[in-house]
Amino acid sequence: MSKKVGVLRFLGTNCDADVYQAIKDLGHTPEYLWWSDRFDWKSYSALVLPGGFSYGDYLRAGALAAQAPAMDDVKQAAKSGVPILGICNGFQILCEAGLLSGALTKNISRQFQDEWVEVELVGSDGPWTQVGQKSFRLPIAHSMGRYFAPKDTLKALEDDGLIWLKYKRNPNGSLHDISGILNKNRNVAALMPHPERAIHSWMGSSDGRSLLQSGLGGAL
Amino acid sequence: MKYLVTIMPREEALDPQGRAVQSTLNRLGFKVQDCRVGKVVVVDLADGSNESQNLEAVKKMAQTVLSNPLIETFEVRTL
Amino acid sequence: MTLDQKLKHYRLSQSEYEKMKLALGHEPSQIEWALFSALWSEHCSYKSSKVHLRGLFTKHPRVVQGPGENAGVIDLGQGERVAFKMESHNHPSFIEPTQGAATGVGGILRDVFTMGARPIASMDYLCFGDPKDSETPRLLAGVVKGVGGYGNCVGVPTVNGQTTFHKTYNKNNLVNAFSLGLFRPGEEVFYGRASGVGNLIVYAGARTGRDGVHGAAMASESFGSNLEAKKPNVQIGDPFYEKLLIEACLEVMNENLIVGIQDMGAAGLTSSTFEMAARAGTGLRMDLSKVPLREPDISPEEILLSESQERMVMIVEPKNLNRVVDVFKRWDLDCAVIGEITSGDHVELVWKNQVIARVSHKPLVNQAPVYERPFDLPSQPKKTEITTPESNELGSVLLKVLKSPEMRSREWIFKQYDQRVGAKTMSACESDVALLRLPDSGRVLGMNTGCRVSVMQWHPYLGGADAVIFPVIQQATRGVKALALTDCLNFGNPEKPQVMGEFVSALKGLNEAATQLEVPIISGNVSLYNETQGKSIVGTPATGIVGLREPLLGPSHEFTESALEIFILKTKPEMYLMGEFNRIVHDREPQGDFTEIHFESVKSIQKFCLENFQHFECAKAIGRGGLAVTLARMCLSVGAEIVSLDGPRNPQVSLFAERFYSVVLGVKKAKAERLKQAIEKERHLELVPIGKTQEALELKILNLIKVNLNDVKTAYSENLGGLVENLA
Repeated sequence: MSKKVGVLRFLGTNCDADVYQAIKDLGHTPEYLWWSDRFDWKSYSALVLPGGFSYGDYLRAGALAAQAPAMDDVKQAAKSGVPILGICNGFQILCEAGLLSGALTKNISRQFQDEWVEVELVGSDGPWTQVGQKSFRLPIAHSMGRYFAPKDTLKALEDDGLIWLKYKRNPNGSLHDISGILNKNRNVAALMPHPERAIHSWMGSSDGRSLLQSGLGGAL
Repeated sequence: MKYLVTIMPREEALDPQGRAVQSTLNRLGFKVQDCRVGKVVVVDLADGSNESQNLEAVKKMAQTVLSNPLIETFEVRTL
Repeated sequence: MTLDQKLKHYRLSQSEYEKMKLALGHEPSQIEWALFSALWSEHCSYKSSKVHLRGLFTKHPRVVQGPGENAGVIDLGQGERVAFKMESHNHPSFIEPTQGAATGVGGILRDVFTMGARPIASMDYLCFGDPKDSETPRLLAGVVKGVGGYGNCVGVPTVNGQTTFHKTYNKNNLVNAFSLGLFRPGEEVFYGRASGVGNLIVYAGARTGRDGVHGAAMASESFGSNLEAKKPNVQIGDPFYEKLLIEACLEVMNENLIVGIQDMGAAGLTSSTFEMAARAGTGLRMDLSKVPLREPDISPEEILLSESQERMVMIVEPKNLNRVVDVFKRWDLDCAVIGEITSGDHVELVWKNQVIARVSHKPLVNQAPVYERPFDLPSQPKKTEITTPESNELGSVLLKVLKSPEMRSREWIFKQYDQRVGAKTMSACESDVALLRLPDSGRVLGMNTGCRVSVMQWHPYLGGADAVIFPVIQQATRGVKALALTDCLNFGNPEKPQVMGEFVSALKGLNEAATQLEVPIISGNVSLYNETQGKSIVGTPATGIVGLREPLLGPSHEFTESALEIFILKTKPEMYLMGEFNRIVHDREPQGDFTEIHFESVKSIQKFCLENFQHFECAKAIGRGGLAVTLARMCLSVGAEIVSLDGPRNPQVSLFAERFYSVVLGVKKAKAERLKQAIEKERHLELVPIGKTQEALELKILNLIKVNLNDVKTAYSENLGGLVENLA
């Protein structure tokens, strides 16, 4: 069934069109949501915060976008259980907005890294884990992708099964090899790799399909 | 002995970061006339005995390594 | 200031001063000095190169827009068109590598999107000095950071390029940035023309600061030893702002709200507005006090010449102004009306309610001085015998070559570039040709860069031709038909007859190859005075070539499976040059028998590849370091055994010389017969079986070379970052 999926656009978001196309290719109906406009979150079956460089990554990656008016509605939607996905910069924005725990810091290489990685599905509950596939080959492209959280937060994430995806070979120094996490309710998920760049075999992998498709189906 | 080095974008140089931060702050209702984003570096020198020599050394590192004189200025302060 | 001081300050010659005075009919005012200085600079006027650029092959049915606009445009059929251009930012990148390279990328992106095309891919042609030169690590680290930082943030993938290390670029590095934009079906092409008397001149984007005042004149000068003095005009780029500018500009263009548009590049507001008026044959009235400023006390002269980044000029009909302002506001950008279009050919500049200059744009733009500088053409290339000391250790020689900074993998560089944003990338920097899937037709756009310094050293004519031929053949191996090119002609001091001769000869070779292969030249730029302390660089006519493949899938650039038959497909006659091998192994100048281009055979090899690529599993043109290096680079995951070499030459030559021109093919047994049949019709080609791919993870070449693939990989992937480790 075709679902209306909201795609957030902040100033400087640059993967919005890619995510939009991927959602369409998966048979859903994407719709752009503008950072400065409030929106009726109830009319969307899922929301996606795409990657890019909102506000140029200035100050801290995601920090300025987290202050956008549209984020008030994202917060409401999150509270009400709407499936929300953050990709790359979207992950950073969700952390800065307090919808996910922890923070994304500079890669241990101190450089931007563009490469293919293998990630493994670790979480098992909630809309974003109903994937039917255990391991995924996906591209990363970021300089602030090293997941960081205090020890007790990390322990809680592990204990509560809120780690969504882990790198098989850690590319950026992420603590506990984390490449994606979930919130407590498991409706908000985010990852650093780009599933929208891996949905057709000509892109080099189509493993991103099932990952995107899982949560876009709507709340369980 | 600890020294604080403050590095700022030159007055006449464009500060993209400051411009973006300022625009967000103003939208949130703060009244910001100008905003510039720099960085600070704290260095602790092993030898605390010679204040003026130390200050010279910190200035030298600020000039040659910590800042890019083409686009940045710096200030050194004893902590 | 005395006249002599003025000439020096404004970088004009005595005869140019006379010409300027004659055109004006009076002694020039300060503003007029500044205008002429900027627009008559080499950078803006092409005064040394213009006479040689006139005869270039630029017209072809697929060319929608050739040189002379912000970027060239070609028609791909099925409603799809692309705009592209390459431009140098050599001087700024030496002074401040990160900002210099970043603003180079920003500038070329603006040239492309002002045409109305959304930028979808960038490439970079970079040249650095000897890795051991004290400046090289700083420049390499800075330039890569600048290119990546800007492209990644703005969301345009960097998909290919080339990085050369050679002592000729010591303290004179080259940064040539290429960008390509796509018009999807139904999208219109926009031009930098100030048409329609009464229309408004609208300034959009960043405020004007003192950045890069006199930059255009500076780029037209050689470097002395006194670098410090040139530092204060560094331009700072803001990719975030550029991203907003791209979106806002494309939006007003898609809604058809503007008449013309141009980026403020070199010599800023001056060159953009004067050129737009000259192209449209109109006049302008501009009030400089309406230009948004970053600092309040900037003088009108500085406003005219500022090279602050991320600024545009648009021509807007008055009825559309409000809508344009709204679109920009939505993207958090300001615009300001700074003037209007008038009839006639005069530009009137106003400052605080006073006319401070009124000059015709004709002498400034269309009647800029043109020089027929004296030139000494290089002598004909001479066949030299390739002599090379015997060696029983060719395996370790191969590893040494692979490991050298000149040859090793550029992964450290391209890992810092986002190569996939835009979700069109099929193959990027790891391959010799980037491939992007076009979203509407599903066809494949191919692109790469050309120009090899050792061939230029051998002979400028051959080097210029090779800068076109080699990338065209590389594209053909992947089934991509080259359609058009852009070039960046980087040369030394044009006032030296040898340098001018090198320029003329290289351009002749480049143009001849472009004509023969039917790859029209649609845009480009010339960068002269690449000279440091009196020493000019080896001329470097870099090219960016764009082509098209109809089917989605084609051959790989690496061996993909074992038991493939390996062939060399080569031209008859085939010529050789010991270029990179001589440099890396023996620190010697090139030697070879490469003295002419046999265009018939070059065209045959391209055509054969395009007609038969569906039978190749993998294919790669033999490039720098010859057959051995090409095989090693195809063997990163599958081994190969070579049982015979093609031809009777000294095996070191067969293995390590650059060839003009040959391709290594990996072919399935069942398809090999078809190729053998197809080759029989070819008078100028030969297909020579030389071995097979194999399961054993090694590359074996007769009894000369036997290397483990792990060793190949280790040598080839030796971290380039090692060169800059203490800086990174």
